[in-house]
Amino acid sequence: MSIFFSKNSIAWYFILPVLAVHFMVVALPSLLSLALCLTDWNGFGKINYVGFENFYELFDDRYFKKAVWHNIVWTCLFLTVPIALALTCAYLLTGITKGQMLFRLCFFFPYMLASIISCQIWKYIFHPLYGLPAWLNSKGIDLIPAVSPFTMKETSLYAVAFVDGWHFWGFLVVIYITGMYQVDNSLYEAADIEGATKFQKFRFVTLPLIRPIFIFSIMIIIIWSIPTFDYVWILTQGGPAYSSEVLATNLYSQAFDRFNVGYSSAIGTLMFIYTIFIVSIFGVLRKLGWEI
Amino acid sequence: MKKLFIVFITTIFSIVSFNTYAKTTVTWWAEANADRDPVFQAKLVDAFNASQNEIELVIEFKEGLNDILRTAMLSGEGPDIVETPGPSYVKEYQEAGLLQSMEGYSGQYGWEDKLLPWSYQAGVFNGEFYSAPKTFESMIMLYNKTLFEENGWSVPTTLSEYEDVASKIKAAGMNVFAYGSTGWQPTHEHLVGMYLNSYAGPDNVYKALIGEKDWTDPEFTGAVELLRKHMVDDGYWSGSLENYYALGWDDFHAMFASRGAAMMTIGTWTFGATAAGFADSSDEWDWAPFPVLRDGGADPAYLLALGTTMSINASSANPDAAAKVFDFIFSNKKVVLDMAADFNFGEFVVPLYFSADDIREDVSPQVKRYLVEFAEATGKGDYGYTTWTFWPADPGVHIWKDMEVVWAGDISVEDYMYDHQKMWDKARKKGELLPVGAR
Repeated sequence: MSIFFSKNSIAWYFILPVLAVHFMVVALPSLLSLALCLTDWNGFGKINYVGFENFYELFDDRYFKKAVWHNIVWTCLFLTVPIALALTCAYLLTGITKGQMLFRLCFFFPYMLASIISCQIWKYIFHPLYGLPAWLNSKGIDLIPAVSPFTMKETSLYAVAFVDGWHFWGFLVVIYITGMYQVDNSLYEAADIEGATKFQKFRFVTLPLIRPIFIFSIMIIIIWSIPTFDYVWILTQGGPAYSSEVLATNLYSQAFDRFNVGYSSAIGTLMFIYTIFIVSIFGVLRKLGWEI
Repeated sequence: MKKLFIVFITTIFSIVSFNTYAKTTVTWWAEANADRDPVFQAKLVDAFNASQNEIELVIEFKEGLNDILRTAMLSGEGPDIVETPGPSYVKEYQEAGLLQSMEGYSGQYGWEDKLLPWSYQAGVFNGEFYSAPKTFESMIMLYNKTLFEENGWSVPTTLSEYEDVASKIKAAGMNVFAYGSTGWQPTHEHLVGMYLNSYAGPDNVYKALIGEKDWTDPEFTGAVELLRKHMVDDGYWSGSLENYYALGWDDFHAMFASRGAAMMTIGTWTFGATAAGFADSSDEWDWAPFPVLRDGGADPAYLLALGTTMSINASSANPDAAAKVFDFIFSNKKVVLDMAADFNFGEFVVPLYFSADDIREDVSPQVKRYLVEFAEATGKGDYGYTTWTFWPADPGVHIWKDMEVVWAGDISVEDYMYDHQKMWDKARKKGELLPVGAR
């Protein structure tokens, strides 16, 4: 009896309402959604069990494969460009004493904008008739052709990634700079005495000491890259010609345009498994003693 | 004691009489639209409620209606009157047993005689009437009449005339058509549908819809190839494929109204926006049917399309009252045309038998001509088929989404149509085809 009123149990009682709500609105629908991947449900009528048929079809679907590839490219882009840029800017900002907040605000500002606003801004900038390149061309400056990069299959994915990266990198700057301020100043003084250059101080002092934050940022980028949807949907809807199609847009189109809810659940299941896999890797690394 | 008895009797009498004379409430969920909602409320809801004392019609305007409606219907809830974006949704709801058959009401009120035959047939599933059309549309070709007159150009009616006038327009430094797909990727299906009907002919499209022809037949591959040539090689729409992808509703209307393009291929839902665009211009616009692109010529065909449908929820407690609401609409051409005129005939154009006399005096002559000519032509059987009204869901998405792959040069027209036929075979096997009235 006493076990129900022990200190540990009381903590569980406090968390129980939240757990119950979470179970009802997140866990249960997610589990049901996972179960749907083995059915041919169209979102309306009877649910028929079809075994792994959705998965066989999926592995034969050239546009699904294309979407997987685009998600890989997307992840690689976000693991390199915004991180490199944010690390550099955060490190340079730590050396600025006057007006640093202004820079931080400027870098962080796009992150505060709703995705629809960010997308509209860049859509108008590259508008073929009224955008910046068109205006430059009208002034006789033909540096950039007046063609929207969102409408060319060669550039659409990178153009969308650029806009999303533009909105996202300021967030990285803020979390990196927070980590950098926690580094003990005496370590930099010691490095100065040893005659370390600015790059060496960054490489051998800053980077190792912000490693937990750095690894955390890598983890969230990998995880957030899997369901990426809003920027792609608003800017290109996965086109032209599937050139910017990603898993989430493919899933959405299958579920809500084509009424293939079972099939789209199969896509969701694979995305879920991949996420669990990534989280597990970081869990194993933590067990191995990595500070993450 | 006597007083108490009187109070008791009065109370009982009040309750009984309230229940006896209480109105039956009929709920209707409609997609929210800030401009349209007050008109619906004033000219339909208030008018219906004032017309009788038994039923209280209540329209609730919802953002993202499809998702909310589906969730409600699946849980046995939802409004009495169910509004969907088209027959493909009706098919899914009907198959799932979520709609009531309106066959009995149709016979009782004579709806089959009130609605245009093709639109009535589009609501017949498994031999019974399940959905009534709330609005119909068609694809047309708008042109800048003043510009055409100034340059001595004629409105094309054949392929050679079409390509000839297009080259003259381009030579004059303008785009042939203003149009674009940004914000609404399925815009491509407007063009594919026009070319399929115009090049292959509505009879062949009908045969393919009912399975007597394959989409891989040369009439259809020829149509898609011609569209590919005009779109990619010739840049008919907004100058280039990239521009077509980049322009949206406001952009292409502005382009058309400002002589950036001489023509515009679009649905009749544009009437209001086009009239507004030309309001400050000295130019005049007009419309014509899309030219016949096949050899031998023929009368132009108007593509049939239903914009929105209305049905009765299977779980409705008041289906009789809901049917009375429908009958009020189908029996009141004046109410329908009055509202449609307020929406510039882009909404609530219920497919009834309109004549020129029914139409309000202030309606523009172009729109008036369209309504009358559409009714006459479709009455004679000169009509074609839009993809969003007659194609099942999967092929219906394929026709526009994978069109981009053809335009990108990543797949041949033959392979595209082969994939399309495969999807039709699958849909036919699964019983997913939508109703098509006999031709």
